[in-house]
Amino acid sequence: MNYDYLKNKKILLVDDEEGLRQMVLSILKKDGYEQVKSAGTVKEALELSKMWQPEFAILDVMLPDGDGFCLFEQMRSFLDIPVLFLTARGEEDDRIRGFGLGADDYVVKPFLPRELLFRIQAILRRTYKEDNPLLELAFSRVDFERAEVIRQGEHIPLTAKEYAILQTLGRNAGRIVTIDSLCEAAWGDNPYGYENTLMAHIRRIREKIEENPSKPVSLITVKGLGYKLIPSTTKIHS
Amino acid sequence: MISIMRLIKRFVITLILSLLILLVLNIVLIVTVLQNDRESMGGWGTASQLAETLNAGPDGKYELPEEGRRMLEQGNTWAVLVQDGTGDVIWHSENLPEEIQLHYSAAEISWYTRGYIEDYPTTTAAMGENLIIVGNPKERYWKELYPTWNLDMIKNLPRTILIFFGANLAIVFLIYFIVVSGILRSMKPIVQGIQALPGGGDMYVKEKGLLSDLAAALNQVSEMLRCQEYELKKKEQARADWISGVSHDIRTPLSMVMGYAADIEEDAKESEEIRQKAGIIRMQSVRMKNLVNDLNLASKLEYQVQPVKSEEMNLMTLLRETAVYFMNLDIEGKYPVELAVDRMQISEGSFYGDKELLKRAVHNLLLNAQIHNPAGCQIRMELSEYPELFCITIEDDGIGVTDEQLEKLRNTPHYMLSSGTASEQRHGLGLLIVQQIIAAHGGRVEFGQGVKRGFRVDIFLNKSGKSIKVEGDN
Repeated sequence: MNYDYLKNKKILLVDDEEGLRQMVLSILKKDGYEQVKSAGTVKEALELSKMWQPEFAILDVMLPDGDGFCLFEQMRSFLDIPVLFLTARGEEDDRIRGFGLGADDYVVKPFLPRELLFRIQAILRRTYKEDNPLLELAFSRVDFERAEVIRQGEHIPLTAKEYAILQTLGRNAGRIVTIDSLCEAAWGDNPYGYENTLMAHIRRIREKIEENPSKPVSLITVKGLGYKLIPSTTKIHS
Repeated sequence: MISIMRLIKRFVITLILSLLILLVLNIVLIVTVLQNDRESMGGWGTASQLAETLNAGPDGKYELPEEGRRMLEQGNTWAVLVQDGTGDVIWHSENLPEEIQLHYSAAEISWYTRGYIEDYPTTTAAMGENLIIVGNPKERYWKELYPTWNLDMIKNLPRTILIFFGANLAIVFLIYFIVVSGILRSMKPIVQGIQALPGGGDMYVKEKGLLSDLAAALNQVSEMLRCQEYELKKKEQARADWISGVSHDIRTPLSMVMGYAADIEEDAKESEEIRQKAGIIRMQSVRMKNLVNDLNLASKLEYQVQPVKSEEMNLMTLLRETAVYFMNLDIEGKYPVELAVDRMQISEGSFYGDKELLKRAVHNLLLNAQIHNPAGCQIRMELSEYPELFCITIEDDGIGVTDEQLEKLRNTPHYMLSSGTASEQRHGLGLLIVQQIIAAHGGRVEFGQGVKRGFRVDIFLNKSGKSIKVEGDN
């Protein structure tokens, strides 16, 4: 699956530590993100946001002239973009505050570049999915805009539940998703008791996307834990 | 106050016992003394013996043999024999005092039998129809002149004695209570104060009355305890804050070490050797990261700065989430986790606890398997339910542990393990954290060997959230 369309999203990086800023910039550049700008203070970040209109922001919490949470709230007043907090503050309260404000993710330093990249990509994919609603699989392709599977030229419609399940799996393509998350995506806040129903839906999805539903290659079971959707290009970072 | 009641009870028992012992002792003493006196039967014996010894001669004259005479001399007594009918003295001992009359009327005989002749206490005995009167020395006996007792009184004697005894006892108790209640009243606040001491010494006793100096000392102790506790808390807080600060400040530089190391490791342009070295730096910095996280949490749990929340959660979901989080980070797939359940059920394992902390504990155990098995290993997790508790088992088929290591793990505070030689694999705080988190939930952790060599950890969590009492548990 090709995620190149995400690579030209405008990313704003705010951190007061020059060295760390340089490192994250180089990581992002190396991964193919072309438009990344950085700021070291709240003031700089707000000016840059207004002028440049970024599409995604990575914010530190502790900044010399204020904190990232306040910056986030101010940015929200004129800009509706996904935000990831990247901070040394790992306290539960901070985390909850960040998510409470509407942050998309919260990464505590120190972090592995790969993990950060994956999280950024997941957020971007989720936010800008309409830009590329096609998910390529080994034997088929999922069109999320039309809610259908295209296999060998044939258009097979997806039910609402199948759509919700496939969407959750697709957003986390290449990673295991727990059955709890899948049930929650399909049946809401109280997903207990739907395990067997979920299995039935998975079987029906396989009938639509796999060549041989009893020997799945795209939607595989991880015993006891959940399911994993394998995109046709297994290397996600390409 | 319970101890005061116990004190009173013990005192009463001692008192009753002492009184009983005294009573018995006194009775024995009285009986012994009386017994001694009874041997001579108060002079009545002498009279009877004399009656047997005195002989009437053939001529009607009475004669006292030698032994009778000696008996009278030894006792310093005199005797007369009064004839029946006439009241005349028909015989008398040689030492008869002059003032003793030689004729007795019936009234006199009756009086002298009960009482005295000229202040000589007398005893009598019958000799045929006649009467022997023995006069004892004046200072030897005291005679009761009216020796009659009401029979009813004698019959009621046991009861009367009991009533006497009871009344005495009651009066002794009354005196005791009056004396003691005063002491108790002044002791009560002090006893309460001492009982409050183990609870942290937060108390004050009024410094007045009988034991005011004791109260003052107690207040001083309480004040000292409070101060010490405050100091200790301050110190602990400072330590936790310090560790928290250090672990915070180290995060940003460590990010750069980790980031650049990973960058070089994945850089195809670098030589294989450089990339390998970068890989080692990356791996070690990940260890440092885990250590920093663990250190922070360990100190918080140790000093109880971290509150343990109680929210409803599903243990099965928790295990799945943790396993999946771990597996998704394990890009090479060297550490597959299998969750052993018959069915994919998520409606089981409802538990109240701190979800984030428990996740951390399980994740630490998974990381532990990863750190100790660089070549990779299979990890198996299992959730079993018992009537009272849940058991989470995490087992790997890796290099495992020796019995010796196991012994160390079970018996030594975890951070002590790093005191070994440099060649020994040093441990982080991972397992200590697990123990702390589980202990905070009232559960316990057991380490052991896996079925297939490997390392096995069993976590027992009580469903009610109360601590599990097991022998040897601390």
